Amino acid sequence: MKKNKRYKLLIVFMSIILLCGCWDIKDINKRTIPLVLGISKEDGKEYKLTLQIPIPNKDSKISRIVTGKGETIASVLGQMRTNSEDAVDYSQIRLIVIQNNLAHNQQEFKGLIKFLMDSEEIPSRALVAITDENVENVLSNINDKLGVHASSIYDYFNKGAGWAPEIFSTPIWEVYRSPFLYTRDIAVPVVRSGKDTVLIFEGSDILKKGKIVERISPDEYQLINVFQNENKKGKGKIESLGFASIMITNSSIQNITSMKGNQPLVSSDLNLKIHILERKEGITDHMIQKELEKITEKRFYHILKQTQRSHTDIFGFGQQFHHLISYHELKDWRNEYYPKLRVDFEVHANME
Amino acid sequence: MKNIVKEIESKFSNHDDFFIEEELVDKTAIYLIGFNTLVDLPKSKLYVQQMAASSTSLKVLLTNLSDQINVDTAQIIKSVLEGKLVIVSKDDEENAVIDPIAQNLSSSIEEPKNESPIQSSTDAFGEDININVGMIRKSLNTERLCHCSYQVGELEKRKLSMLYVKGRAPNDLIEKVNQQLNQIKSDIETIDDLNKQFGQRRLSPVSHLFATELPVQAIHSLKKNRIVLFLDNCPFALVFPHLVWDMLSSVNDRNFPFVLSFMLRLFRVIGVVATLILPALYVALVSVNPEVFKTDLALFVLKSREGIPLSAFLETIAMVVLVDLILEAIVRLPKSVGPAITMVGGVILGQAVVEAKLVSNLLVIVITAIVIASSAVIGMQNSLYIRLLKYPILILASLFGILGVFTGFIFTIIYLASLTSNDIPYLTFRIEQKGDTK
Repeated sequence: MKKNKRYKLLIVFMSIILLCGCWDIKDINKRTIPLVLGISKEDGKEYKLTLQIPIPNKDSKISRIVTGKGETIASVLGQMRTNSEDAVDYSQIRLIVIQNNLAHNQQEFKGLIKFLMDSEEIPSRALVAITDENVENVLSNINDKLGVHASSIYDYFNKGAGWAPEIFSTPIWEVYRSPFLYTRDIAVPVVRSGKDTVLIFEGSDILKKGKIVERISPDEYQLINVFQNENKKGKGKIESLGFASIMITNSSIQNITSMKGNQPLVSSDLNLKIHILERKEGITDHMIQKELEKITEKRFYHILKQTQRSHTDIFGFGQQFHHLISYHELKDWRNEYYPKLRVDFEVHANME
Repeated sequence: MKNIVKEIESKFSNHDDFFIEEELVDKTAIYLIGFNTLVDLPKSKLYVQQMAASSTSLKVLLTNLSDQINVDTAQIIKSVLEGKLVIVSKDDEENAVIDPIAQNLSSSIEEPKNESPIQSSTDAFGEDININVGMIRKSLNTERLCHCSYQVGELEKRKLSMLYVKGRAPNDLIEKVNQQLNQIKSDIETIDDLNKQFGQRRLSPVSHLFATELPVQAIHSLKKNRIVLFLDNCPFALVFPHLVWDMLSSVNDRNFPFVLSFMLRLFRVIGVVATLILPALYVALVSVNPEVFKTDLALFVLKSREGIPLSAFLETIAMVVLVDLILEAIVRLPKSVGPAITMVGGVILGQAVVEAKLVSNLLVIVITAIVIASSAVIGMQNSLYIRLLKYPILILASLFGILGVFTGFIFTIIYLASLTSNDIPYLTFRIEQKGDTK
């Protein structure tokens, strides 16, 4: 009995060593860790992939740009792996920059996102951005800037709440999810390489069922952010009203939804806490408040009209009608209900 | 000279420290028999003579000296071996076993060597079993403190004492321990020999007994329904059963306010967990699952490991073994060279290893942290076994990464949970069950 037990233990230990697959483990310093993946399509035929790989040295401020071309993305990734000196570990990719010609091709863009989502190596929490420029330029732009860290592109999107409320981040899984949503559309940030800074934020492309329908400016997007994510409240936003500039220190929104026959109604109250930074002479607090309320409301109705025309519910108003409209009817939210939506949007600006 | 004396003399013929002294008391010759390594002969002689001066006859003298009078030869031999002084009259008719003035062979009460209590009395248990029991009796003067003594061993008869508080320690536990102690056939040389009597745990790093030098701790254990054993010539109180809580809490903690003692215990828990999983986590993160890192951290680790020829596992195991070697060596060093060697070992070796790029800076930090953390627990043997348990987790981590770390950790806990001493699980925090006061 005892001998038997010993044999069993031996078999368990042997299988641990044989089954674990530990012979192909590579230490972190034997791996190449790309941080940014740029994807473009040249002449509508071949995929061109660009990787930004930081070179580890004392201050790690340099990175190199590696490109590869091929018929499919998977083949290019494999080819890059073959040609690389170390094992390439795609699991640290944090940002995927897609060139606009590829992004605007609905079929291919969908396929691309599906591939990125299905790929086991590329993390599905990597952020997606679109650029109008050549991807290679955007990535190589990092090395031209003095004293910029190799991970700066990723840092660009992760400044933290309050520092740049216009910028937002959209991970792959959200892009992947968006075609399956009936009541909400999402936006993907658009960037280009800057002259003095690494990137310049240009606005965002709105994705409707995996198709890019229009572009909105950073100012407008901030309002959308307030509606979509109540945790990102757009703190720290600085607004210039011509005769004064103010900083929004806090914002909160309250929505009340109702159905009037077939017409959806939302009455929405946005409360802004503001802090006046500077003003011209003779301008009262009241005037500033009124002006800010007017500007914000105008901006909102502008986007609302624009999106209602294109049947794109970027605000995610449909999300709030889930309990009022049946599931089958919600499928038609964008076409049937959203254009008819009436929003009573009121802004209340308060001094701090 | 008559039979008995001759017989004893022949029995001890190859003991040079054996003596038979003839003495005249009240005009009768008597023999004083004993070992002069155990008996202080001149002082004992003086004592006998003084007693003789106030006694009228030999018989009265012997009655005055002892209550073990006229015993048989076997008893005499046994008493001689125990360090007693035996008086035999010349005509062989009367004898007595008396407690002599003994040679001073045991150290007095000193400060603890292996534990450093804070805000507490600094008495430590010594080698003499009676003094040890006395120290407990002095501080815990209740009639419910029970004391059972045993003589165990094959070659030598060693004294063993069991202490418990009646009404606190569970009755069936006392009964079982009593049985186990009575069954001892072999010699008890070390704590581990005694440990074996409580059940088969040959391959286990966790002992059935928790050794403490501090009377305060032993008394606390007695009050907390446990049994305390004393072994002759062993300067420890052996608390039975050994529970996991012993590793984390000392009674001296409670000399501080509750919040502080809670903090101390929390830090010990952190120390245990850190010792167990930190080196394994390092290997897992660096070689198997680097995707867990955040980007900045991954780049930092990458940078600190740049150009290091050893794989993470080899590097870690080399450092961990080296450090355990150093720890073991420092214990054996004489006090005069200890600090110098420690400096060379710690500072120069650490510095050189990093500068030679043999191991990464990060690993040196991890190793330093676990060495210090492993000493946060109470009791040297606990610290040792925690240090041992990190190795299996380390190996699992090198094979399976993060998954291995956590499976290893869980299996360690499962293993510890499976340990019992006399049906009391090791992972209980206190023995709730109480005995009868009857």
